[in-house]
Amino acid sequence: MKHMFTIICICLVSLGAYAQTNISGKVTSAEDGEPLPGVSVIVKGTTQGTVTDVNGQYTLSAPSAGTLVFSFVGMASQEVTVNGRSVIDAQLEPDIKQLSEVVVVGYGTQIKSDLTGNIAQVDGEVIANVPVPSFEQAIQGRSAGVLVSSQNGKVGQGINIRIRGGSSITASNEPLYVVDGIPITADNQSRTGAATNPLADINFNDIESIDILKDASAAAIYGSRAANGVVLITTKKGKQGKTQFTANFQYGVSSPTGKREWLNAKEYVELYREAAYNNDLAEGYDPINDPGDYPGSWLEYMEETFDFLAGDTDWRQLENDTDWQKEAFQDARLTAFDLSAAGGTEKTRFYASGSYSDQDGILIGNNFKRISGRLNLDHTATDKLTFGLNVGISKTTNNRVTEDNQFSTPLQLVAQSPLTPVRDKEGNLYDNALNPAMFYYPATVELENSHFVSTVFRNLVNTYVSYDITDALTLKGEYGFDLLTQYEDRYQNSKTQTGLDVNGYGTSRWVRIFNNTSRIYLNWNKELGVSNFDIIGGFEYQKSTRDQTNVEGQGFPIDNLKTVASAAEIVAGSGTLNEFSFLSYFARANYKLHGRYLLSLSGRVDASSRFGENNQYGFFPAASVGWIISNEQFLSDNSFLSFLKLRSSYGLTGNAEIGNYDHFGLYRPVSYDQTSGLRPSQIPNPDLEWEKTAQLDIGLDFGLMNDRLSGELDYYIKKTSGLLLDVPVPGTTGFESQTQNIGELENQGIELVLNYNAIATGNFRWTTSVNLAKNNNKITQLSGDQEIIDSGSSRWLNVVKVGEPIGVFYGVEYAGADPDNGDALFYVNGETPGETTNNFNSANKVVLGNPTPDFIGGWSNNISFKGLELNFLFQWATGNKIFNGGGGFMSANGRYEDNQTKDQLRRWQKPGDITDIPQARLYENNGAQASSRYLSDGSYIRLKNITLAYNLPVNLIQNIGFNTARIYVSGQNVLTFTDYDGWDPEVNTDYRASNINLGNDFYAAPQARTFTVGVKVGF
Amino acid sequence: MKTLKNILAVVAIIGLLIGCNEELDLRPPQDVDADLALSSDANVKTTLLGAYDALSEGDLLGGSLQRNAELLGQKSHIQFSGTYNAPAEIWRKDITTVNLDVTEVWLGGYDVINIVNNVISALEVVDEDDRDRISGEAHFIRGLVHFELVKFFAQPYSAGNVASNLGVPLILEPTRGISEENYVARASVADVYDQVIRDLQIAEANLPSDNDVYANKAAAAAVLSRVYLQQLAYEEARDAANRAIGHTNGLFSLASGYAALYNNSSNSSEDIFAIQVNTQDGVNNLQLYFAAAGFGGRGDIEIQPGQLALYDPGDLRLNLYYDDPATGETRTGKYINQFANVPFIRLSELYLTRAEGNIRLGETVGDTPENDLFQIQERAGLPFNATPTVDDVLLERRRELAHEGHAIHDYKRLQLPVDGLPFDANELVFPIPQREMNVNKNLKQNAGYGG
Repeated sequence: MKHMFTIICICLVSLGAYAQTNISGKVTSAEDGEPLPGVSVIVKGTTQGTVTDVNGQYTLSAPSAGTLVFSFVGMASQEVTVNGRSVIDAQLEPDIKQLSEVVVVGYGTQIKSDLTGNIAQVDGEVIANVPVPSFEQAIQGRSAGVLVSSQNGKVGQGINIRIRGGSSITASNEPLYVVDGIPITADNQSRTGAATNPLADINFNDIESIDILKDASAAAIYGSRAANGVVLITTKKGKQGKTQFTANFQYGVSSPTGKREWLNAKEYVELYREAAYNNDLAEGYDPINDPGDYPGSWLEYMEETFDFLAGDTDWRQLENDTDWQKEAFQDARLTAFDLSAAGGTEKTRFYASGSYSDQDGILIGNNFKRISGRLNLDHTATDKLTFGLNVGISKTTNNRVTEDNQFSTPLQLVAQSPLTPVRDKEGNLYDNALNPAMFYYPATVELENSHFVSTVFRNLVNTYVSYDITDALTLKGEYGFDLLTQYEDRYQNSKTQTGLDVNGYGTSRWVRIFNNTSRIYLNWNKELGVSNFDIIGGFEYQKSTRDQTNVEGQGFPIDNLKTVASAAEIVAGSGTLNEFSFLSYFARANYKLHGRYLLSLSGRVDASSRFGENNQYGFFPAASVGWIISNEQFLSDNSFLSFLKLRSSYGLTGNAEIGNYDHFGLYRPVSYDQTSGLRPSQIPNPDLEWEKTAQLDIGLDFGLMNDRLSGELDYYIKKTSGLLLDVPVPGTTGFESQTQNIGELENQGIELVLNYNAIATGNFRWTTSVNLAKNNNKITQLSGDQEIIDSGSSRWLNVVKVGEPIGVFYGVEYAGADPDNGDALFYVNGETPGETTNNFNSANKVVLGNPTPDFIGGWSNNISFKGLELNFLFQWATGNKIFNGGGGFMSANGRYEDNQTKDQLRRWQKPGDITDIPQARLYENNGAQASSRYLSDGSYIRLKNITLAYNLPVNLIQNIGFNTARIYVSGQNVLTFTDYDGWDPEVNTDYRASNINLGNDFYAAPQARTFTVGVKVGF
Repeated sequence: MKTLKNILAVVAIIGLLIGCNEELDLRPPQDVDADLALSSDANVKTTLLGAYDALSEGDLLGGSLQRNAELLGQKSHIQFSGTYNAPAEIWRKDITTVNLDVTEVWLGGYDVINIVNNVISALEVVDEDDRDRISGEAHFIRGLVHFELVKFFAQPYSAGNVASNLGVPLILEPTRGISEENYVARASVADVYDQVIRDLQIAEANLPSDNDVYANKAAAAAVLSRVYLQQLAYEEARDAANRAIGHTNGLFSLASGYAALYNNSSNSSEDIFAIQVNTQDGVNNLQLYFAAAGFGGRGDIEIQPGQLALYDPGDLRLNLYYDDPATGETRTGKYINQFANVPFIRLSELYLTRAEGNIRLGETVGDTPENDLFQIQERAGLPFNATPTVDDVLLERRRELAHEGHAIHDYKRLQLPVDGLPFDANELVFPIPQREMNVNKNLKQNAGYGG
């Protein structure tokens, strides 16, 4: 996929004034001998060049001592020295580079075939210009065992990554992110319950590669923060040669991937009249057949309610029929522009870029803009001394909408009655207070009368000095920081629900995080006879400081004054400081014998301010071995089995993403009689430490048919112990619980990656890759003989239970409607199988399903024909269930006035009806409790991305000054196949999302289906 | 040589950047480290303030402790009609081991004890001039809370067998971590009372007579008199009350009108010790449960005819009862101001205790019983009684100290039945909270609770 850009991948130049010779020749495919048209032929170190014609022929003039570079999409580039010849034919081999690729490892790089650990690499080229705000979304489905899931479809918000399953109950489950060697801040900084995503500040068109360290051997060098895997992001570097400019422009539109079906006005009236009438009948009145019963009846009440809801329209004539779901979504647009320049001299190389993107969310009022710049500089001062600087700056502006559980969030508009018009006939919005025709405050009013903007200023800086003490020994020093400044500005004027009684409410909040790392290390790389050594060792210090101040005010003189300074009264404010630090020593030795026996040992010692005094230093060792069987004598002549390597690793990693001050004995400030006091708030735990994960990985890498088919197969088992849990202690201590390292869980799974170069004839190429991963997560031990951690919520089902995956759905099993009377029935799940009851409280809870997919994968394809390219990716996640926490409101057989999903029309109406929807009863809870009624299969498979591109022939565009020109159309989330009847199966409602609260839907926005057109040129 | 210089340069640069390795010891900026809290005179005093804050919580002296003592009393006197299950169980004398309010008394009580144990452990850093006072306040609080706990969670002292009946765990050391030693078993009733008396004696000896709104000499002696009354040690009770009255000399006096004693946001002249509540700080749970909705209360507790019948028709204290306009029920007017202090020890109680002791002993230490009794009765508009009996004084207690947290404790020491249950019935003793039983295997549950 490196296609044309390889022409500028020139390492050495020795250009003099040589005589020019006319050269001609033919380029064919090494595989089938077919001529290759469109191959670019360049004189190395210059911009001189041409492309082959339909017969694979070319002519050009070049220095007789020069070198020609032949390159073509999907083929390995080839360099041929002219050596005075006038006819030079070339045969290009298919570019099968999976095994010869360089992968980034902790504090270095390694040839993939020499790896003894498990690292998944995603090439930056693959994700360039994917129309999503952050790179994790772009790599979804591209790496085995990496589960990427968005909480909802709001742009710039929380995304969760699980590498080989979740490994913690209370600490973070997210991987460590490292950009150009510097660990960055990746955790949520939002003030509201809905997370924001600091990774969205990164312009991922600057990314050269993303390397995901999955097993202990690869990750243990990151010690106490590697238990959830490590994601290494490497940005692009300049290369010696003429400055290469690349410009890209993209425009697109987005719409929801799915919609729910709702009652229309006629159906709404029918269902709610029936619900009210059922109440009347149950109380012994019949207002329909006995008009004397009508006054004071439920039916009368409901019809009066319709009068209210219908505003200035007549519901009896069904004058109005609002599709509120439609009102929640906007006509979403996307515009992106990128410009980059790369190049340099022998001594100084650079990569510079600037980008702007403006992406609407599909929800009304939701938008994400990013403007960013990057400059990466490398300078070779002497033949021994090199130094460099990488600077990335960005500003992101996120126009946010409220959390999923707020009436003011756009998708809660679906709760409004279809009888209610959006606006009255004078054009004023209806609401629940000032112009009332609703019971719930609507997002329409919030949108017109408030703003909620998060602005982030981000600097990612990394500097290094590298000195070659000898040819084999290099000393390297690095310093870098991540400076994140987030400003949240929110104003709700006097027409909003929040601002109504207080004449406007404003919030202003600043967060600043300065996270800096410095390190020094030595690298010794030497070949001694049949042995090959690659050894590093060094130390590192990291400190992160987070300052936060916020102020809230109310009472704004007029709605146009929106900053807190205009507030009549400051009602809240605070300032906080939070810090953590790590001091670490790390080392790794890679040893290769006879080019086929591999051994790697690594270790890290981490000390952190977060650990208790008895456990301030942790040691994280790993060992791995590999055997490249195909390099053995007995296999060296086997042309079918071109590569075979067996490898295994075992090691310890930790999870230090615990609270910054969990080990201290703490006192908190209080007051008595307005005099300040101190009260103990936390028992000291000097033994407190990181959570520990021991991981075994056994893998097989193989290549068949000259590596035309290659793959990796891995089995792993990760056992995590010392999980931090709040353990109840005797109340006589003055405390109720102590945070202790006590729980245990495990993840066990299999991963398979297959890459196949299916077709590689002259004009037509097809490469395909599939990745599959199965992970079983299981809690094995809680505190003591504790069996379950249950928040006791009556509306949600997630618990932590021994023997089950984390967050397992545990609750009452729903049994449908009683055919005799329409009561909701539940399985007792007691001693008598199949026994049901209409008393929810007498039904026993049972395990109902796993909220996390246990089988995930992706299937990607690149097909090219001449200048045409078709790339598509299918991505899937299966084996999980989704709980619709909004079901008790939206699918509750007419319990409240909320509009109902269309399936509620299946409700029980008369004795003998067999249905899963109970009888409609106004204000009565007839089966709307949290039960398996609102649980459904969350498996899905998605056409995640499809791109059709046309690369214009070089000879056509050279005349207008371009090296490359590419026109493309692209679709994201184009097709989704699922049985989930909600909006979208990739969901976990933002305001509740946590390690345990998984797989929940609550008026959460679906994902965006985005179509874009773009043009990308190089010159 | 040039190589060496280059290496040195690189090392120097990096060394500068890394030169902050000391910073592994990062202290929490928002909260205070435990060592720091006890490190100086000012910090120990601030921590003692924290103990008052903990003591003043709604679950303890902020009102629920007194409310619980009233709810355990006669149904013929008050009725609980609220929707909260926990107080309803207490009023019905049908308490479950998971009763939330019972659990909170236990947890809250030991929280307070832990704080004062911390203060006691750090007395040596307190300025010498203030050390006695700080020690006195801390011992006062520790003795008081252990006393309240043993009254609720154990058989009454009057039931005898005090050496074998289980009291509550005695916690005299601060918690500095969790080890086997923190799984403390229940001490005997006798041992708990002995410790309570020791603490309160230290308090009385060390406290000043005048100590702003905090614990003072009279308060310590007053609580001691309550302790001795529970032990039926009338001479010691009388002496303690007499000493307490002496300590109040020139500082506290009986207020002229009964109504003036209540709903005050600062202490009345006879409040020897009260929990401070105002609009900024503190809660008043007596107001929350006793006051009508019109006063911002829950209106959960209604006064029954049995209580009203205790009073003579001309008793001025009857005027403090009012009819709730919303429900028509009778409520006490002692707690209608949400932001009023919660009285805990009033001077009038001491006159009644001294009078009772002197009558039982046939003595007149301090003053004659008739004079002491008349101090209280005169204010209520009642005539002088020249020859008061013990029963006269006990009746006066029930009138004067009504709804102030004495009900069940007086029934128990006087061995009177409650709602048809004998004074030592299991139902009148709180269960050890289930969460505590689950955590601490060294605890033994009270009889009647499946233990």
